[in-house]
Amino acid sequence: MRQGSGGLGRDIGRAFPLYLMLLPALAYLALFCYVPMWGARLAFMDFSFTGNHAWAGLKHFRTLFSSPAFGAVIANTIIISAMKIFINFPMPIILAIMLAEIRSKKMIRIVQSVIYMPHFLSWVVISGIFLNLLSLEDGAVNRLIVFFGGKAFPFLTQGTSIRWVFVFSEMWRSIGWDSLLFVAAIIRIDPEVYEAALMDGAGTFRRIFAITIPAILPTIITVFTLNLGFFMNAGFDQVFNMMNDAVLSKVDILDTYVYRLGLQNGEFSYATAAGLFKGVIGLGLIFATHFGSKRLTGKGVW
Amino acid sequence: MMKALVFALVLLAILVPAYSQGKVPEIRVISKDFYPTDPDNLAHIANIQKAFKAKTGLDIKITLLNAPEGSYPEKLNLMLLSGDIPDIIYFQGNDEAIANQGMLVDLRPYVDKSQWFKKAMLPFNVKRLQNYPYLVWLAPPRLNTPAIRSDWFAKWGGKLPNTVDDYYAMLKKFVTSDYDGNGKIDSIGITDTGNTARIDFLFNHAFGLTTTWLKDSSGKYNYSKVSDFEKNKLTFYQKLYKEGILDHDYITTKWDGMEDKLYTAKIGMVVGTPGLVTDIYETKMAKAGKGNEYLVISPPAKGIAQGFTVDVSKESRGYAISASSKNKDLAWKLLDFMASDEGQFLDRLGIEGVHHVTKDGKVSLTEKFGSWYPRFSEVVGWKGPVDVLGKGGRESLAMAVKYATVEDINFVIPKDLAPAWDACSNVYKEWSFKFISGEYAMDKWADFAKAWYAAGGDKVTEYANKTLK
Repeated sequence: MRQGSGGLGRDIGRAFPLYLMLLPALAYLALFCYVPMWGARLAFMDFSFTGNHAWAGLKHFRTLFSSPAFGAVIANTIIISAMKIFINFPMPIILAIMLAEIRSKKMIRIVQSVIYMPHFLSWVVISGIFLNLLSLEDGAVNRLIVFFGGKAFPFLTQGTSIRWVFVFSEMWRSIGWDSLLFVAAIIRIDPEVYEAALMDGAGTFRRIFAITIPAILPTIITVFTLNLGFFMNAGFDQVFNMMNDAVLSKVDILDTYVYRLGLQNGEFSYATAAGLFKGVIGLGLIFATHFGSKRLTGKGVW
Repeated sequence: MMKALVFALVLLAILVPAYSQGKVPEIRVISKDFYPTDPDNLAHIANIQKAFKAKTGLDIKITLLNAPEGSYPEKLNLMLLSGDIPDIIYFQGNDEAIANQGMLVDLRPYVDKSQWFKKAMLPFNVKRLQNYPYLVWLAPPRLNTPAIRSDWFAKWGGKLPNTVDDYYAMLKKFVTSDYDGNGKIDSIGITDTGNTARIDFLFNHAFGLTTTWLKDSSGKYNYSKVSDFEKNKLTFYQKLYKEGILDHDYITTKWDGMEDKLYTAKIGMVVGTPGLVTDIYETKMAKAGKGNEYLVISPPAKGIAQGFTVDVSKESRGYAISASSKNKDLAWKLLDFMASDEGQFLDRLGIEGVHHVTKDGKVSLTEKFGSWYPRFSEVVGWKGPVDVLGKGGRESLAMAVKYATVEDINFVIPKDLAPAWDACSNVYKEWSFKFISGEYAMDKWADFAKAWYAAGGDKVTEYANKTLK
């Protein structure tokens, strides 16, 4: 659907059914992503339930930035997000490559079904599972540690360990589902390239590093760049369900802070200001990664 | 001609009731867990409409609204944000932002003119209404009373605990004995739900923490949680934690987890809501089949003082009337009616034939009554034709009323101080756990106080000293 060969109009004419299939997605984008942007003006107003919002300028941003907890909240958001992205991002790629190496189709189907399953569980359920597993009194993990002569460890109430719990529970939930895209990218590689490499005597690792990874690199870069756009999200549902009072200073992220002070207290303007701030940072990160990647690899999102 | 006449009569017969039905003023109500999807709720509303008409001579059409799924206070905010504003709104917090925008009616004139509501109010309700006139709520004081497994209590064989030492001795025995009979010394004395708020009801007064803000000898108000009284209390909690009396998982335990530990005989006591909730504990405990059906209700611990503190700054939950309602008077009349004898009969006993039956003029409760709870109000001291509370419910309520003797010294945190209050409250939450779990020694108390003031406690304390007299 490139415009080069005759313009957009001709392209639409040629691939009309495909463009028709695009319509619902465009409508979704317009309705849920672009129309709500109009509401972002609330960040610069004092919200009123009666609809008479008064202009407030940068007041809510000043309150946000001068809040005593704001620095720690931003730091937590960045740390937790960075841990998740840099540790969890390569995992689905590795998994997809491993899946591609399995020869038995039946085995692939079984493995894929099992690893996709956690994606469909809500964070309420997952947090319940992990809270039970890691309980200090009678959690399975601590029982094992004690059984082998160790001392029970407070995974959920230590600032450093709870962040690792976030990382691993996220990995457990998403690794299978996130590998889908990379599995699809690997399937598109021409099998003849692998056969030629095999005839030239290339081993498994050689094939992975010389063929598979370079072939799926554009997908990796695109997914990574898009993921960075959500960098400031850090996972509200997960953190909200798994956090506890003992580790507040280590896990309170921008979203949980906004939820408490903004939504729960009905301070919608304040919540919108924080949301807008988060969105701007995310947009900046997308641009930075896109142009950085263009410069380094010649490939970007667009 | 005849045919035309019959047709016209039939048409009239259909249209007239429909027209008059449309004339009945409608009151739209939104309340937590009071949704039109439950047939019991619809039957209850039909009964109320009928009884309301009989008592007041007024027609009313009550329409229950569905709240969006999820956390009620948050979803209610979003519902109001969408412009859908019911006549009667039940709030469970987060009402101040809405009241501050003039969206809720000042209920004081309505209460003054009420036939039944005013008489049903307790002294703390009256003070709360004076301080914050937008919410009304007729219910026992919202505090927590201690409740001990009666089988463990009997095995222990001691007298009803009264002092801090009594409680310590009993709980210590619980964790060093095999009262659950599983062949192991693995029982826990007491737990809480994410913080020590419940246990604090038991021990606060004993350690001198009688109000939220405490006046020192120079006449200055200081926050109780950074006082030496609090330090002494946390030192005691640290001891409980170290000796396994206080559940090591209390910080990650939720209310259902706490109940489960009680029913399955993992812990010996809880501190829970008196009245109906204590009854529910007993019902569920009996169903769990671990050999215990009753709870022993004990008083708050005695030490420097003994009692429960009642917050009078505002109702923490309750009903409000929307300022945009076209039927404010009727909405109030409905709330007033629900405080009357007839209203309480319906609201407390549930639906005839389902939750209670009347035979030869005598009312008795059915098995299903256990699942019923008042949708509008629970007038303390209302004498019904039958006891609606079980043994635990009655005793815990009596204990709450007996010891709820101290009015809190507190105030509503203003909007501008909300971020500072949030920050310093979080400092307390985190440090208090570190003290209790032994991660921090108590000699770090001065560091904690410094961190609390630095996080915004200084601003709040300054405001407290301007506001409190």
